[in-house]
Amino acid sequence: MNSFIDAISSQAFMQNAIIGGILASVACGVVGSYVVVKRIGYLAGGIAHSVLGGMGIAYYLGRPPIEGALVAALFFAVILGWVSLKMHQQEDTVIGALWAGGMAVGILFISQTPGYSVDLMSFLFGNILMISSDDLLWIAGLDVLILLIVFLFYKQFLALSFDEEFARLRGIPVERFYLLFLTLVALTVVILIQIVGLILVIALLTLPAAVSGHYVRSLNLMMVLATVLGVFFTTGGLALSYQPDLPPGPTIILLAGAIYLLSLIITRFWKRA
Amino acid sequence: MTNNSVITIKDLDFSYGGPKILEGIEIDIQRNEFIGMVGPNGSGKTTLLKIIMGVLTPDKGTVKVLGNPPSQSVQEIGYMPQFASFSRDFPISVEDTVLMGRLGKTSSIGFFNKADKRAAEKAMNDVEILDLRKRVIGSLSGGQLQRVLIARALTCEPQIMILDEPTANVDMKIEKDIFDLLKQLNERITIIVVTHDIGFISQYIHRVACINRTLICHPTSELTGETIENMYGSHMHMVHHHHDDETKQP
Repeated sequence: MNSFIDAISSQAFMQNAIIGGILASVACGVVGSYVVVKRIGYLAGGIAHSVLGGMGIAYYLGRPPIEGALVAALFFAVILGWVSLKMHQQEDTVIGALWAGGMAVGILFISQTPGYSVDLMSFLFGNILMISSDDLLWIAGLDVLILLIVFLFYKQFLALSFDEEFARLRGIPVERFYLLFLTLVALTVVILIQIVGLILVIALLTLPAAVSGHYVRSLNLMMVLATVLGVFFTTGGLALSYQPDLPPGPTIILLAGAIYLLSLIITRFWKRA
Repeated sequence: MTNNSVITIKDLDFSYGGPKILEGIEIDIQRNEFIGMVGPNGSGKTTLLKIIMGVLTPDKGTVKVLGNPPSQSVQEIGYMPQFASFSRDFPISVEDTVLMGRLGKTSSIGFFNKADKRAAEKAMNDVEILDLRKRVIGSLSGGQLQRVLIARALTCEPQIMILDEPTANVDMKIEKDIFDLLKQLNERITIIVVTHDIGFISQYIHRVACINRTLICHPTSELTGETIENMYGSHMHMVHHHHDDETKQP
């Protein structure tokens, strides 16, 4: 543990990793809470995974993968949102098809790029230790954008996630706000891919909020606590992985998953007792 | 149509693309009326309510709410759905739930303001749930939740309230409490309530609108087993029953 603290004080990559984790936790605490209460984890998973298509194409074209991720995330957010609004019957099948199709496109493009094998793993599983100062600026910028939109349309997002039918009757353009909300999910996914890679995004998006939801009585508090938990999971996962030299992404997710299960058991036991 | 009309419907037809769900609907609802709306399942009650609230557009005929097309007046209607269309484990307090009723009346950006909070407080006070304001909705009883839904409908300070089977899920004691409350509100608000229990509510309402594709209105005094039977068709069994506290027998 001491060597971890030493590393934070002396190594720039470690400082970047810690700051990256904190910045990502803001987005995942706020947007993740909506995802959990609105129960659209599967849809968010579809956005997260299909993003590989955009990253692969960007990589093939020699552009930074985050640019491809951003474009693909926004594109798939709108497509998947449209599907879930218009095709209730086959929603899960269509999401599954886009999920897998997006990944397949990405893998094909990456395979056609010389030297692909080096980077595929970091797309899929991320590497928080590789976060650069530029990445931090990207993440901070996306955080600000997400918070701004959530503050502006706080009421509509609350109404949409709480009671869509009533919101519609009160004259809220529900479809428009649903799509706007999914673009926030897309932005958050792009941020989180930097931390844990796209395979594990959905865990970091939902687990802090889900644990938080066990204890709070309002959506605002849920977001705050989820953000704090996100910081705890990313920093804690980094610390745990440092000494034995484990990959930080999976360690972060396992820590979050273990705390979630523990919290689930405790709160269940509590309610029954 | 008189100056006191709040809802006027003339010669209205509606279909979802197939057979007519509603046909030749005519009604003129006056300010401060208390209308009971009855009809079998699938008779078009909810469809008619949705037309009045501007969610659906009729194929034919005119609808005026407070003298305007429905979509312009929907902010003046407080609506209470038959079932709470939200999840009971959502982390939200009674007060925040009631505040949802301010949507459409308050500013479209930012948080709820002081005026919204005052309106919510007044609505909670009217339905006697002010002491529950900080409680999370998952911890409420069925009767308390119904009151929250009424408060949410009231908090937009509506001129018209539409309630879709407000007492479908509560016992008779709470049903009476809720209708007593609606009777008080009726002093300032026009009320339309969908119900199956016409025998019970006949002491509260002024007129019954019987819907089964077409609409026939009866003053409460004309209501007999026969009229209800005509409306529901031959499979209807009237159960004659009395309440000790009934003030007026139809």
